[in-house]
Amino acid sequence: MRAALPALVVLAIAAAVAPSRAQNANPLPPGEGRDLVAVACSQCHYLGTIAKIRDGAAGWRVYVDNMVLRGAQLSGPEIETVVNYLALNLGPGMNLSPPKPVTLPDGAGKDLVETRCSVCHDLERVAVVKRDRRAWPLIVADMAAWGAPTTPEEAKTIADYLTAHFSD
Amino acid sequence: MKQLIKDYLDHGISRRQLVSGLSALGMSGVAAKAVAQNLSPLGPGAAEAVAAAAPVAIRDVEGNGGALFVAQLKAAGVEYLFFNPSTGDHPIFDALVDVPEIHLIKGIQEGAVIAMADGYARASGRTGVVVVANIGLPNAMTQMVNSYKDQIPLLVAVASVDQDALGRDQLQEPDHPELMTEPITKWFWQMQSTAAVAETTRRALKFAATPPCGPVFLSLPTNTLEQRAKAQVWERSKFDVPMRIRPDKDDIEKAARMLIEAKNPLISIGDDITSCRGEKELVELAELLGAPVAGLTGGLGYWSKPFPTRHPLYVGALLRTMRYPGKPDVLLNLGNRFGEIASPGTRLISIRLDPTGLARGAPVDVAMVADLRLAMADLSDAIRSMAAASRLKAIADERTARAAAYSKQMHDEREALARALADSTPVSLERLGLELEANLDRDTCYVTDADSGKTMDALMSFGGDDKPYFSTSPNVLGWGMAAGFGVKLARPDVPVVSVVGDGSFCFSGPQPLWSMARYKAPVTVIVLNNHSYNNERNRIWNGAGRQFEAARDMTCYLGDPDVDYAKAAGAFGVEGETVKQPDGLRDAFARAKSAMVEGRPYLLDIHIKREGLGAVSEWYPPYSVADLRTRKV
Ligand code: HEC
Ligand code: HEC
Ligand SMILES: Cc1ncc(C[n+]2csc(CCOP(=O)(O)OP(=O)(O)O)c2C)c(N)n1
Ligand SMILES: [Mg+2]
Repeated sequence: MRAALPALVVLAIAAAVAPSRAQNANPLPPGEGRDLVAVACSQCHYLGTIAKIRDGAAGWRVYVDNMVLRGAQLSGPEIETVVNYLALNLGPGMNLSPPKPVTLPDGAGKDLVETRCSVCHDLERVAVVKRDRRAWPLIVADMAAWGAPTTPEEAKTIADYLTAHFSD
Repeated sequence: MKQLIKDYLDHGISRRQLVSGLSALGMSGVAAKAVAQNLSPLGPGAAEAVAAAAPVAIRDVEGNGGALFVAQLKAAGVEYLFFNPSTGDHPIFDALVDVPEIHLIKGIQEGAVIAMADGYARASGRTGVVVVANIGLPNAMTQMVNSYKDQIPLLVAVASVDQDALGRDQLQEPDHPELMTEPITKWFWQMQSTAAVAETTRRALKFAATPPCGPVFLSLPTNTLEQRAKAQVWERSKFDVPMRIRPDKDDIEKAARMLIEAKNPLISIGDDITSCRGEKELVELAELLGAPVAGLTGGLGYWSKPFPTRHPLYVGALLRTMRYPGKPDVLLNLGNRFGEIASPGTRLISIRLDPTGLARGAPVDVAMVADLRLAMADLSDAIRSMAAASRLKAIADERTARAAAYSKQMHDEREALARALADSTPVSLERLGLELEANLDRDTCYVTDADSGKTMDALMSFGGDDKPYFSTSPNVLGWGMAAGFGVKLARPDVPVVSVVGDGSFCFSGPQPLWSMARYKAPVTVIVLNNHSYNNERNRIWNGAGRQFEAARDMTCYLGDPDVDYAKAAGAFGVEGETVKQPDGLRDAFARAKSAMVEGRPYLLDIHIKREGLGAVSEWYPPYSVADLRTRKV
């Protein structure tokens, strides 16, 4: 039950026992700013999820800003360095682990989904569960705002495809 | 006079006749009323009670166990009894018919009863006294965890079955119910006889209020409440001796020397300071040294903010690596449960109220068990006596200037970040934080068991002349609204706002609102309605497990059904409204304020943007019981 312990407390306790735990377990890819991220972002929780998220600069900025409000002690210029590192090294398509095999049904839009929608997360996120028909256009619009490289026409094709195959 | 009192006790004359008779004998009106009140729990036939008329610290009384319990509470100065009734505890409430000094505060769920008493205790520094049904004890225990972990003084009592019936597999009582409370009380006891009721009640009050404080539990078999006995009741001063422990002089001198010689000291602060009411001494010590002060942030681990968060020396969260002041050479931990952080090159001084929390996780160079207020005062005195004032001032001025530059930079940066996020719909926490800071009066008691809502804390000012802050360190949810009521009861002359998540609201349900409505408690309740256990999902997904991988929030989405909290409040007698747009906040706050001025509680159901991993998701594992049916019944 991790929720029972604040991350800070875990660290305060762990610090005495294993002072170099966070460094040992640094899963971040090399790149400028890695050391700053490794220190600034491991004070309250481990780096595991950060290394698994892929997001554009705007998306990363939201996370980082949120962390500053929660107590991360980054100066304005440091925020820029961290966001740049994250967007560059953990941006769409960067340093991806091998994808989970997901076979999509044939249809117009399949190729777009396979190429555009797998650069930040596995297709398992996209095309497995059925969703409300009205949800798909909104989700695809969300993803475009997040940084999915799609034109409005492509977005419509993708939404139609997903609505046709993954709605009730 | 003796005859008059005897007539009264034998029901020969009424209370009014007694008071006027005593006045006629030359006693002042107040004294005459006091005599009448002192006599009231005694019941018929207790002529010895004549002695009780005199204002003495120790009195002999006779009555049934319920009356003795109440008489001892009253002698100890207890003002409120938070309760939910059962059959067995009737002698307590019978006795209260004639004891107007103790006000009954009813809650309609035992968790709410405890949290009301807990909020009252945190805000008043007094012991919260609770009576609930034995069968409802487990409901109460959920919230007792908050009190236990934060060392809040509570006396929780239940009436259990008659002693004769104990162990006979009674329907409503498991064997040894008092044992259930063992891990979350300082002390628990089952009453053995009516003669012991007053003495045991005293002992319970004493244990609860002796630092480190905490909940105590009494199980009162019904026959011990119904039978009669003679006993003494004592005023509080006779048994509740103050436990203000001064630290050892040599240790203080050693610590003072380390702090004077330190090149880069850092102070970590915690709730012990609040418990000891040492806020003023803390500011004095920090300013004397010019030492930066760091506290906990995040959702858990602290319940108060003992240092003004807009003080130039306040540098925010205590992290292993502090951007400012960098690595400290001396870390002074003042009552922070998690403030003992070991690191090569840093020497650690730790002062705790609770010896069991001292030197628990990290090696400590100087450890002291002490009342934090006295320890900080002694430390400041020792420092002043060991170094020239001019030298201290020069060092402090230089350090304070650096800390002030840093804390101002961080403050401005946080505000800029928040402003950039201020216009979203649903309302962002950043926007709400800025609006609350702008709209709440500076002396507002801010009571919260929000989870992701604690992000707003960084945008607001607490402590010192700013808003007193009340939360719980374990964040056992369902506390916030009821505790807000308790805080208002303790401090009726300042505004109180209670900020809870939608998840938290549902853990208590609307029941605390019932008590607010019944007792006309002007509290503004704010529900941060993000339709989710938002931060729970963030923590779960932060482990990067299957739910994260597959972007399937199996557990935390709350938006279907979409609960209308304002309507729920209405059903329980509290007016409220829903706010969906950031532009609607100011007017809504104004309406809440007018309701408070008029003496009414008010609820704002504010639709809040979800944040973090998986926040966009509204999916949950679908299932329909209706579809399982083969018959439409
Ligand atoms: C002051 C403590 C602190 C620091 C420093 C910190 N975080 Fe966090 N982070 C949190 C908390 C608290 C959560 C919420 C989940 C939890 O309680 O574990 C969180 C959660 C997250 C999440 C999950 C999404 C969310 O909003 O809950 C991401 C991603 C994240 N942090 C990234 C970062 C990055 C990147 C950094 C470095 C810039 C960082 N964190 C530094 C406290 C911190
Ligand atoms: C720039 C990175 C990025 C790209 C490209 C991207 N996504 Fe996402 N996707 C995310 C993020 C971030 C989340 C939010 C979940 C989280 O916080 O981990 C997400 C979540 C999802 C979810 C779950 C959301 C829900 O409502 O339950 C779906 C479905 C999804 N994406 C579909 C798509 C589709 C379809 C595309 C292609 C048009 C796409 N994604 C492209 C970043 C991306
Ligand atoms: C009584 C209780 N049950 C369960 C939990 C576990 N828990 C921790 S946070 C949380 C969700 C909180 O949701 P909400 O109050 O809406 O806050 P949000 O994270 O959405 O801001 C839960 C269920 C708890 N802390 N207390
Ligand atoms: Mg919520």
